Amino acid sequence: MTANTLRGTSEIQDCVRSNERVHVVGNGSKSALHPQSGGAALADVSALSGIVEYQPSEYTVTVRAGTPVAEIAAALAEQGQYLPFDPLLPDCATIGGTVASNLSGSRRYRYGGLRDFILGAAVVDGAGRAFRVGGKVVKNSAGFDLSKFLVGSLGQYAIMTELTFKVFPDVPRFRSLSFRYEQLDAALDAIATISGSAYELDALDLLPPPPANKGEQAQGWALMARLGGFAETLPQRAERFVESVKRETATMEVRELDEADELWNPLAGLRGAAVVKVVLSPRQVPALDAAIKRSQRRYGVGGNVAWVATDDLAALERALLDAGLRGLCLLGAVERPIIGAPVERQLSARVKQVLDPQRKLV
Amino acid sequence: MNRAIYDALETIYPAERILMRDAQLLPYESDALTAFNTKPGAVVIPLNEDEIIATVRLCHELDLPFVARGSGTSLSGGSLPIADGLVIGLNRLNRIKRLDPRQRIAVVEPGVVNLHISQAAQPYGLYYAPDPSSQSICTIGGNIAFNSGGAHCLKYGMTSNHVLGLKVVLADGAVTEFGGESLEGVGIGPDVIGLFIGSEGLFGIALEITVRLMPQPERYRTVLAAYDDLGCAGDAVSMVVASGLLPGAMEIMDRLAIKAAEASVNAGYPDAEALLIVELEGEAPQVEAEFEQLNGIIAESGAFETRVAQSEEERARIWKGRKSAFSAVGRLSPDYIVQDGVVPRSRLGEALLEINALKQNYGLDVANVFHAGDGNLHPLILYDGREPGALRKAEQLAGEILALCVALGGSITGEHGIGMEKRDYMPAMFSEEELDIMQALRRAIDPKEIANRGKMFPGGEAPALALQGMHPLEQQGVISRE
Repeated sequence: MTANTLRGTSEIQDCVRSNERVHVVGNGSKSALHPQSGGAALADVSALSGIVEYQPSEYTVTVRAGTPVAEIAAALAEQGQYLPFDPLLPDCATIGGTVASNLSGSRRYRYGGLRDFILGAAVVDGAGRAFRVGGKVVKNSAGFDLSKFLVGSLGQYAIMTELTFKVFPDVPRFRSLSFRYEQLDAALDAIATISGSAYELDALDLLPPPPANKGEQAQGWALMARLGGFAETLPQRAERFVESVKRETATMEVRELDEADELWNPLAGLRGAAVVKVVLSPRQVPALDAAIKRSQRRYGVGGNVAWVATDDLAALERALLDAGLRGLCLLGAVERPIIGAPVERQLSARVKQVLDPQRKLV
Repeated sequence: MNRAIYDALETIYPAERILMRDAQLLPYESDALTAFNTKPGAVVIPLNEDEIIATVRLCHELDLPFVARGSGTSLSGGSLPIADGLVIGLNRLNRIKRLDPRQRIAVVEPGVVNLHISQAAQPYGLYYAPDPSSQSICTIGGNIAFNSGGAHCLKYGMTSNHVLGLKVVLADGAVTEFGGESLEGVGIGPDVIGLFIGSEGLFGIALEITVRLMPQPERYRTVLAAYDDLGCAGDAVSMVVASGLLPGAMEIMDRLAIKAAEASVNAGYPDAEALLIVELEGEAPQVEAEFEQLNGIIAESGAFETRVAQSEEERARIWKGRKSAFSAVGRLSPDYIVQDGVVPRSRLGEALLEINALKQNYGLDVANVFHAGDGNLHPLILYDGREPGALRKAEQLAGEILALCVALGGSITGEHGIGMEKRDYMPAMFSEEELDIMQALRRAIDPKEIANRGKMFPGGEAPALALQGMHPLEQQGVISRE
């Protein structure tokens, strides 16, 4: 594979025009998204980096697609703001790759995912045309919203060069708590109770019991909740929340968690030949979980996403197909990144036909 | 409408659900952009999704343009019929098929009224967040077509941000489904939900919609602050934003809008040049702490009077005045145009000064109500359609305001959509190539351009809005104004 380090829109246009097949890559932080064969020219956009425009008072930021997420997060943090969708791999990923693979983290529980915060983009499509989609203000409904379509598009429709997001003020403090449940059903009941309540959590993730050694008592499921807000109100809010969870759910134990760096990284500790994001609803958790009991896994966003590490991708795919679910492989050497139920084709095929008629972008 | 088309429609509908007589068509001739009306060839009233699908396929086969219509509340002429085309009236598809409080979702048909979802969810402590001013009559299908917003979308987004799954029939008759019940929506693969929502009926018709419901906030704090200067109200918004607070809503009304609201619903607003409504929502302890901070900001911002809603009734009254402002303006003027351009929030003051200068140049009254939190203006341009040239003048002023929004780095529409009204301003926002790409996309989905033909794109067959005296079609009696 030939790697072309591209520094600007016109270089990307040239690359698309002069190659039959083009595969875009940023920092390459998600190995499963970059097939090792196929003969496509590699369009490396990681040099297309930097913040273009940031106006804290507008709640918007415009960045080049190859900008590391960490750099954006740091610039926002200086102004007390953040990307509310909580990019999943903040240490090494680029923002373009984060959008292309639609990877929001645990904190997306509070205000929404990536699709809810993208406002616009500049792209180069498969025909080599450079143009803008969406807008640069927090609200805009002019024209077709192709910027949202880029979310999850895996670089197969257009190559992003610039992205605009809505940002929010961040909260100054956090408190994290863990509630233990003996069975998955009880934990899911608790998720339903908590997410239907007026308690406004920043994150709500569910961890399965660690494998128990012989003679040890089973640990149970750990439901992790994170509260964010003013330092002065957090003690009272945490107390009210804990009382309510104790009263309304079958929790066996409540623990205060240390706000360590990795606590809210859903991929932390997931080890396997492949790491996969699965999209599901809380109702679908029991059936999937029964099928993947031996995999390391974490259910994020109140049971709306599963992060699974597996050594047997074929088995995971069968489980997904049985449950009518779909997964995106993030890490590992895989044949194709999307596994399980097929993605929608009717509408997206029409977009492909328009943006990449020669099917150059792979 | 010719006999062959009628016969074809009769294979789908009983005669009583095919409306063709003048008196039957009258209510469908126009929407909330009343400056225009056009007589459709017929209106059909489907009762289920199979009938909608069969109708769209028939239209595709016969080259018959159609407009899907809910309650006809579009402010951009989005549901204006196409002359001799078909109107597919969706109001009878008004069932909430499923409401699952445990997963906090509702699965609804396109003709369900926005507010009815919140009413159905209310016993479970849940609600549907997007709240356009017309929420007591507008339908979800229309909200999807136009990505409708409302006063509360700064924090939780517009329609697009609350739809998790869609089943649609595309304009060429293909039926497709995407997303589901997960909060992630489509989640894996391109976000086709985001693309379909806001496509103004040009891609097809939503048949079944899965929306997310949110828990009702535990506490609201709704503050009404009165100013003797519009600029001060705008500055107060900047101060709130700079403080790091994230209110659920921030709304401003100017003197004329206040007067209209008072005359209409007697909201009890103070006599002021500008009113600012700020609403905090969330967990009680957090909201109370934020409220204290907000009070400090409002006190510093030069408000001469501040009121805090002490009960749900008082909160409802504050909002009633704001939400009725559009219809209330109808009491002050026989006709009005409402625009919904967006400017960067930091340039609100500049935009208002400029609009003020423009209205004086034109000798027209403009009432301003706007979603200040997201820079979404709603200037209501008052005119008397019976005066020769008045509509044209009002249109010109509206056009200058839109140009101003683009020049300030904003958008020509925040939530009403392009529709009929702003299609000629699309080139101000998008390059020729960008418009070509959107057109190509539309044709890839609708090769015959039958779905809501004449909307969104400049030119086209539908009567142009920029009138110079009598429009040619008006002279021929094809279109008319009340």
